[in-house]
Amino acid sequence: MPFGLLKYGLSSDYPAKHHFTPATELKRHYDVVIIGGGGHGTAIAYNLAKYHGITNVAILEKNYLGGGNTARNTAVIRSNYLTEAGVNFYSESVKLFNNLSNEFNYNVMMENRGQLTLAHSDAAIRSFRWRAEVNQHLGVRSELVDRQTIAELVPNLNMSEDSRFPIMAGLWHADGATARHDAVAWGYAKGACDRGVELHQLTEVEDIEITSGRVTAVKTNRGRVECNAVVQAVAGASSIVAKKAGIPLPIHCYPLQAMVTQPYKPVLTPHVSSPQVHVYVHQTSRGEFVIGGGSDPYPLYHTRATMEQRESLSAAAMELFPFLAQARLLRQWAGTTDMTPDYSPIMGLSPVENYYLDAGWGTWGFKATPICGVTMAELVATKKVPALIKPFELERFYRFEQINEAGATAASH
Amino acid sequence: MNQRLAKPYGSLINRDKPLKFSFEGNSYQGFLGDSIASALAANNQWLLSRSFKYHRPRGTLTMAGQDANTMIQLKSNPNALADRELISENLRVMAQNYSGSLKRDRGALLGLFSRFLPVGFYYKAFFKPRGMWEKWAPLIRKKAGLGVINQQLVPGYYDKQYKFFDVVVVGAGPTGLQAALTAAVGDCEVLLVDENPTLGGSLNYARFDAEGLRGQQSRDKLIRQVDANSNITCMTDAVCNAWFSDNWLPIIRGNRLYKVRAKQVIICTGALEQQAIFHNNDLPGVMMSSAAQRLIHLYGIRPGRAAVIVTGNNDGYANALDLVDAGVEVKAIIDLRDTPVRDAITKAVAAYGVRILIGHAVFAAQKTDNHLSGVEIRPITSMGICGPQSESIQCDLLCMAVGYTPTYQLVCQAGGQLSYDDSSAMFTLTNCPDGLQVAGSVNSHWDLDACLAEASRAAIIATNALGFTEVAVPEMIAKVGFSPNHPWPIFPHPSGKEFVDFDEDLTIGDIINATRDGYEHIQLVKRYSTCGMGPSQGRHSALAAARLVAAATNRTVAQTGVTTARPPFAPEQLGHSAGRSFYPARRSNMHYRHVEAGAQMMQAGAWYRPAYYGSTNDREACINNEVINVRNNVGLVDVSTLGGIEVRGADAGEFLNRFYTFAFLAQPVGRARYALLTNEAGVVIDDGVACRFSDNHYYVTATTGGVDRVYQSMLKWNAQWRLDIDIANVTSAYCGINIAGPKAREVLTKLCLDIDLSADAFPYMGVREGVVAGIPARVIRVGFVGELSYEIHAPQHYGEALWDALIVAGQDHGIKPFGVEAQRVLRLEKGHIIIGQDTDAMSNPMEIQMGWAISRKKPFFVGGRTITELQKKMPLRSLVGFVVNDLRAPIPHESHLVLQGDQMSGRVTSCNYSPTLGKPIGMAYVDPQSAQAGTTITIRSSGGVRVAAEVVALPFYDPKTLRQEL
Amino acid sequence: MKLLTCPLNGPRNISEFTYGGEFHPMPDQHKTDSRQWAEYVFFHDNAAGVVTEWWCHTASTFWFLAERNTTTDQVIRTFDANEVFNQRIEFSAMEDDA
Repeated sequence: MPFGLLKYGLSSDYPAKHHFTPATELKRHYDVVIIGGGGHGTAIAYNLAKYHGITNVAILEKNYLGGGNTARNTAVIRSNYLTEAGVNFYSESVKLFNNLSNEFNYNVMMENRGQLTLAHSDAAIRSFRWRAEVNQHLGVRSELVDRQTIAELVPNLNMSEDSRFPIMAGLWHADGATARHDAVAWGYAKGACDRGVELHQLTEVEDIEITSGRVTAVKTNRGRVECNAVVQAVAGASSIVAKKAGIPLPIHCYPLQAMVTQPYKPVLTPHVSSPQVHVYVHQTSRGEFVIGGGSDPYPLYHTRATMEQRESLSAAAMELFPFLAQARLLRQWAGTTDMTPDYSPIMGLSPVENYYLDAGWGTWGFKATPICGVTMAELVATKKVPALIKPFELERFYRFEQINEAGATAASH
Repeated sequence: MNQRLAKPYGSLINRDKPLKFSFEGNSYQGFLGDSIASALAANNQWLLSRSFKYHRPRGTLTMAGQDANTMIQLKSNPNALADRELISENLRVMAQNYSGSLKRDRGALLGLFSRFLPVGFYYKAFFKPRGMWEKWAPLIRKKAGLGVINQQLVPGYYDKQYKFFDVVVVGAGPTGLQAALTAAVGDCEVLLVDENPTLGGSLNYARFDAEGLRGQQSRDKLIRQVDANSNITCMTDAVCNAWFSDNWLPIIRGNRLYKVRAKQVIICTGALEQQAIFHNNDLPGVMMSSAAQRLIHLYGIRPGRAAVIVTGNNDGYANALDLVDAGVEVKAIIDLRDTPVRDAITKAVAAYGVRILIGHAVFAAQKTDNHLSGVEIRPITSMGICGPQSESIQCDLLCMAVGYTPTYQLVCQAGGQLSYDDSSAMFTLTNCPDGLQVAGSVNSHWDLDACLAEASRAAIIATNALGFTEVAVPEMIAKVGFSPNHPWPIFPHPSGKEFVDFDEDLTIGDIINATRDGYEHIQLVKRYSTCGMGPSQGRHSALAAARLVAAATNRTVAQTGVTTARPPFAPEQLGHSAGRSFYPARRSNMHYRHVEAGAQMMQAGAWYRPAYYGSTNDREACINNEVINVRNNVGLVDVSTLGGIEVRGADAGEFLNRFYTFAFLAQPVGRARYALLTNEAGVVIDDGVACRFSDNHYYVTATTGGVDRVYQSMLKWNAQWRLDIDIANVTSAYCGINIAGPKAREVLTKLCLDIDLSADAFPYMGVREGVVAGIPARVIRVGFVGELSYEIHAPQHYGEALWDALIVAGQDHGIKPFGVEAQRVLRLEKGHIIIGQDTDAMSNPMEIQMGWAISRKKPFFVGGRTITELQKKMPLRSLVGFVVNDLRAPIPHESHLVLQGDQMSGRVTSCNYSPTLGKPIGMAYVDPQSAQAGTTITIRSSGGVRVAAEVVALPFYDPKTLRQEL
Repeated sequence: MKLLTCPLNGPRNISEFTYGGEFHPMPDQHKTDSRQWAEYVFFHDNAAGVVTEWWCHTASTFWFLAERNTTTDQVIRTFDANEVFNQRIEFSAMEDDA
């Protein structure tokens, strides 16, 4: 019996405790203002409060808690990236995810289902071997697997040699997992608010005041707030917010669409992805099939879905699992992904001394939530850039250096 | 007991065609035209399903496919809706989501624990101590999900069709019919689409007057007019499932997805009746008043024997008249209102002597044998609160008529905004995009005459916009007086189970408690409680949830809002969206020659190319033999997939100078030059050779996979530079064959009479035009494989003939075809890189030893400035050649890492056994410190075995290029 | 599916087009320092509002410019690039290395 639930049944009045901050006025001053109340923003606040004793923090979220990409992603957690910097970074995040529910006392329903990426060409096999070698070297569970192993891992996958792009091999990432994406933001927010952080929803930053290269205050639709430091963690709105601070970014915002079917009894355990046909499929613990693929072909700040993408995703999902023809579509949606030239994030310092960047999260942001919280909080608290995120500094573009993860993202989400 | 009514009831069924089917193993009879739900209802079988969480017994709610209470399992069609699927002979229907039997589902025990399963219960438990969730998760997964997917299903046939109309009218009720008629003027082509089997919508089952005649009369008249109008195309049994940009509408009928482009759209989708919320409001036998009317009129079924009606509007009274006419005993009408409106219909009901209780509510429903057996009535003392006095009334049917929510989904997908006025309980839709109109009850017009007037008005706006008419648009009919929406048909009960969301088994307490937990925004309520996330996507929970959340958080319903409407409207199967997938396959003109010669074909993008010739058992041997034959005799390889671009004009050389890294202005006519392409970030992205055939004409090759991008990029730059050139992508116009080997000249001389092939006349890197085997051709002496070779480009339809001629001419010289694999080994022996294999997304020319290809003498080339910046820094890595001298070591593969101690310092990009050198050779990125020839590097090969390799200068073979310059 | 009006081919489904990036004239490479050049290569306006951008009608490889609102996706107008690029561009030789 999950004992945690007993208190609900036996108490006649619902033992409600507001998980966050009941609506209050903004204070005149905060030590830290975090712009963006999604997974990253709340994770940073949580870590500041719990591990650095910094609680005079305001999270300013223009819409509802986690209402940006945290609400819209397809909840893939993995670390089978390509670069040393990337793999080290994401594998730390996966480790944190494994303990997250117990860390902040909120069930994120983390499930270590494993993730399989399919290779349909020699070039893909080379690319996967590269990832497997780097992953193994750095202690991440990743291996190149053959057709027979694939058939054992996913018995209902279409292995036919007659399909247009027969499966040749795969990259099996045993560390791959999934979690309830909204709950990650809720858990962090609750943990932060329990420790005195203020979460202000429906609070939009309209202007950022900079004097002599330092942020002094932010102006919101609910009033002006002075602060000692600002972190922006707004994903799709990165360029818009950074512009208010006078900071240019190498970001383009593209919609990323996904769709979900009605719930069915479970038939698929791992997450399966095929960059060749541009689709990935995964069955949630509710029984719904979540299907996603490649980014939209042109930039847009609107979370509309398109018929073309629905057709393309459906056809591609059926290439891998023909029986999905009978599954009924429940809903299509999109998020706004802030894409960088090298498919790696932008974290750390900005040209403004006390203004910190957590941006460029493209299609790789959800999985990085916990490690982002840890490292950005450390940066804000100590003013020193942690080694783990140093490679992702904005300055790298001024050096014409890239941390290129193109091979490990896109529709291999 | 048979509930069937005599004719003229039952407009959809054909009593001459009885059909037998089974449900849960029991045999039933219905008629052609019956849905599964109606046929079962006719047989007094009302229990259809078990709910998601508590496994509560469920049955017909809307009789229109708008709810998910009727979900059943058909073979290869789980989660089908019994009130939409028709019966057929021997159809086997099963229920879903139960343990034991549908009647006695053990899962219902979970309902006893509902007190311990508060809203968001998953988040509050199951994860302590550490590791508990890993144990619970698989159990919870097994309990979740509804129907069972047939994993053996081979998808049926689905296809798609495009259609174009001036006006599309969605919904063929009275409003839609009238809108179509008014729009069908002149040449205006109109599509009228409805999800039901017939036109008419509510005219088929609702009651508009005391006599019950108006509906039928209007229906007959409007349909007659529509049938007579050749401008109007009707599609019934067709669901318009979404709205996409610029009026792009997916309409699903049968196994076809119609993709319809409309210039103007008129949405007449009507409104969805809503439930009253009280204890046990989800029992079989409790249904919408319109559901009862559909049963009676469409299917000829008496929906019960003794009925009670709970109403907040006068539709409940019209419903009463229908029930009375159908022989149902109407025991009482429970009117939620204090002062109901009197009209002809209420008077007719009163004349029948039906008992009417004003200002009362149904407080609870009771069940016997999984079906409604009675209701508890109480007086209403204030909003949602009832007094203690209660009265029980026995009944087996409860009809709810407490209001409607517009079927707003398509309008909101189009950007329309739904707002609600708390005091009048009226909805409005505003902010519709240009080209989209709304009319009828979807826009909160309730009176039939008002709907017809609004239909015409919307149609006139559309036809004016299209230029078919030029008439004044009438004023919008005012939304007067009463709304049929009762503002608060919600009655909390001490034992709970007053369902707000049937799909997710959420009750009043769940919604309120979500807000008390701090999830106040309607989106957070939805995500935390899962309200509206089930198969009916909030059709019957959005309004109630908005009302409850508004009350709990001190806001208006308008401020609270509803969650975003997203496509699709109805749950369509993936097969429809997929249709027939088309994945083009590209083949060279010589394709069949390869197949006949026993080639193993491989994929290169969309192309099929021969990998090697021979059996898969002999793969290594075949490849080695092909390599050796090229080195010693002569081989033939099909290079038709290679990209080819013509650049012509006075500025042709200048253009290439700016586009590629090398220098082209002084390139002599009759020569080829290496063309290396970088992007603006200085990264190498493609290569080829530029052949100058005249002062103003270059023929430039590109990689198979890159040519389309290269061509697009060329045109984008010239759209800015405006040079005097013309660029054409002629890749698929030419076939290409490379004949390579020391005997190549001898073979080609036999076929090529008008080109002097001698070494002096046609040196290495020369290009010529002439005739080969009677075929007009371009001949390019390039050395990718490091032997004397001629690459022949001819118009592609000559491919087979050219191939045949070369094979015949080379027979005495041991000519044999060689494939992509052998070509890769040969080029590796010559130290040539392959773009995309030896280069990655960050490779600049300096790293890959191509500094020589960067011209210093020109003012500009794409990527040049960045390369200048990069050249100011130390390179981070170096691409070098290596050999493995220990023949017992496991041969490294591409992507095996180069290690320095325990650090990763590089990786292998190419590696093959070289039959020419007798050992494995390859290329790898290494630390620049290790790039000197003679350095030993360590490669972690297969099985983790560390292999020592020696860095050598490239090329491995024929460093003095004597062979290729023969 | 969205319609886009190609100045050459007329209104076509958007699937017939390739997006070509924000419209930014190339700065004079002799008058930009290394940081400015890096911003030209890597950085974007990524504005939420009306932007000018490149599009290509894929089948005819016709490049043109469009003004589009990146928040509503409304295309204000599409036009031939020769409205902006109406004469041949020359590149001057570098005197020193920049």
